[in-house]
Amino acid sequence: MAIAKLNHLTYWYPGGATAALRGVQLQIEDGLTVVAGSSGGGKSTLLRVFNGLVPHFHGGRIAGNADVLGMDVIATPTRRMARRVGFVFQDPELQTVYNVVDREVAFGLENTAVPRREIAGRVEEALHAAGIAELAGRTVRTLSGGERQRVALASALAMRPSLVVLDEPTSQLDPDGARMVLAAATSLVDEGRSVIISEHRLDDLLREAAGLVLVDRGNVTTVDPHSWRPSAPSLRPARVAAAGGEAWALENVSAGFDGRLVLDGVDLGGRSGEVVVLSGPNGGGKTTLLRLIAGSLAPVGGDVWRRPGRVAYLPQNPTVLLHRPTVRSEVSFTLERSGEVARPEKILEELGLLAVADRYPRDLSSGERQRAALAAVLPGNPALVLLDEPTRGIDPGARAALVALVGRLRDRGASVVLATHDDDLRNALADRVINVRDRKVAEMSLAVAT
Amino acid sequence: MNARAVAAWSACCLFIVLSTTNPVYKVLVLAAALSALAAAGGLRRMRRLLVAALLIAAFATVLNFVSAHLGATVLFALPAQIPALGGAYTLEALVFGASGGITIAAAILAAAPFSLLLDSHEVMDALPAPLSRTGVAIASSLNLVPAVATSFVEVTEAQRLRGWRPRGPRSWMEVVVPVVLTSVEGSIQLAESMEARGFGSGARTTMASQALGRADWLLVAASGLALTAFAIALAAGWAAEWLPYPTLTLPTINPWPIAACLLLFAPVLVWRSRS
Repeated sequence: MAIAKLNHLTYWYPGGATAALRGVQLQIEDGLTVVAGSSGGGKSTLLRVFNGLVPHFHGGRIAGNADVLGMDVIATPTRRMARRVGFVFQDPELQTVYNVVDREVAFGLENTAVPRREIAGRVEEALHAAGIAELAGRTVRTLSGGERQRVALASALAMRPSLVVLDEPTSQLDPDGARMVLAAATSLVDEGRSVIISEHRLDDLLREAAGLVLVDRGNVTTVDPHSWRPSAPSLRPARVAAAGGEAWALENVSAGFDGRLVLDGVDLGGRSGEVVVLSGPNGGGKTTLLRLIAGSLAPVGGDVWRRPGRVAYLPQNPTVLLHRPTVRSEVSFTLERSGEVARPEKILEELGLLAVADRYPRDLSSGERQRAALAAVLPGNPALVLLDEPTRGIDPGARAALVALVGRLRDRGASVVLATHDDDLRNALADRVINVRDRKVAEMSLAVAT
Repeated sequence: MNARAVAAWSACCLFIVLSTTNPVYKVLVLAAALSALAAAGGLRRMRRLLVAALLIAAFATVLNFVSAHLGATVLFALPAQIPALGGAYTLEALVFGASGGITIAAAILAAAPFSLLLDSHEVMDALPAPLSRTGVAIASSLNLVPAVATSFVEVTEAQRLRGWRPRGPRSWMEVVVPVVLTSVEGSIQLAESMEARGFGSGARTTMASQALGRADWLLVAASGLALTAFAIALAAGWAAEWLPYPTLTLPTINPWPIAACLLLFAPVLVWRSRS
């Protein structure tokens, strides 16, 4: 049975010269539908049509028709569609209203004036459906990323929606957190709900999917999910230069915040021309380790040493870097500050950003922003490259470009440290894998890590 | 702890401390606020707030001492030619400044339970129904405050590694602009999430019960009694005004307003620790 029909749907964001969605002809059947495609292609925009955030929240111009669960999207405000369509966003931290789990899950019910006597039961039911009944009463800020994202899913489920839409819900989660969220999402189909999910981790989802929608530059096509194959993993770039001398070292280093130790007695080092990959769960201390190596965080105890030279640091939230009027000027800014001479277009081309070089970086999709931030920190010849979750939200093509770029920097003698949950990236680049967990670090053999 | 009962107690404290010039009653309100906070959460937990209140009170005291060259008891004098600072420095100005400082500190501590002892949703639940949506919007935006602080640290670190150094006010634009933009984007994403969950649909309900418990009723009754007693004392002239100028005198006291102020210590009996 069709749950959504889009007919010649074209949409322009406010001030947008080109359409974000172009003449979309689409019919979504019930069950699980996966939405895939390159970053910046229009996946998030398409998903927002299903609950009316496009066009009602974002504005802009729209042409054509969209019907979801019998509701005319263009004539029905999002707040009314919310009673039947649940939506889970990418970032669990930016969708939390209340501090306590139960109240957060009840937020939608309160907004739609569900009688108080019914709310507690509906909240309990939603927490069970999302597999987090044990989190009732917990403070939201004490939860892990995976738990918070499942609270967001429970918040959507509390409304008893017929359709649940998830926009890259695992992009910021470690593998365990991602597995938990995807398992909870796919189990909804067994309960008779329809699910539309946009994801880059496709392998498990495609096995269960009833439909697959591909979105590329605003154009939408449907394919058979069981015969379609995602792009092959990035290949390991051939090494053309051997690793050199010591580039950075931590000796008996401890670090933490507010009296709580995150790392304790860490001894670790890296060489020039070497790629060290940090793995481990969210909150394990990977970012703290990167900040220590960068010199941004002073250790509580021990010594940190790094050889002289420019440090290229990509923070976990890439948008904090972006403040220039164009993507090109972000790259030029770094080159000017470092006194290096290079053409900004070179790295923009390598990362597939030439087409958006003159656009305002914060107007780009989340995947494109990630690439813009990478371009902003990686031009020229940095001596030390520190990347925190560099493939967050980017598509396989962009990941391959990043692998090639990091391989080139490594061969020029840069010492590279990556914190990542991305198995493909780790397999393509790691010379050593360090597991960061429970305040300690431990070297893993590459065979075990892969 | 019901936010409406807390509001009644805070309002009564503020009424008394702002409606009298008598420092004895102000000190009693300050002591009641300190006792209430200590009973509910322990003063150690509120160290930062106490230090801030103390600094603000000290500033108010010094400001009056330096700027009000009134009063008969001259402690010392600076040449009148010195702009702003020149003139006589008097004991009366110092004491009046201290009285103002006590007023500010008492007001801050009386309002503190809203931020220190209650969660934002508890405050929201206490709002009358017509203000419920506004309350949700305010409380959810307050949730973004820690994110702004985090963003400031992240941006500063990232920009330093790209060669930024603080060199005068203009250089800070490279930090302030991304922080502001990131905060605005966070607000928009939160608003989008709220819209997707039906915010703005119309009348709201709330999961939490608004019913007052026995302890809450006790607090409301004590606050109401204190307010009424102090208002009567003001109207009857029993809560005598006090002005230290031109010559410092001791404030006069009366049992009625004293009793009213003592009722403000009720939270010590009814608030349990919310550590």
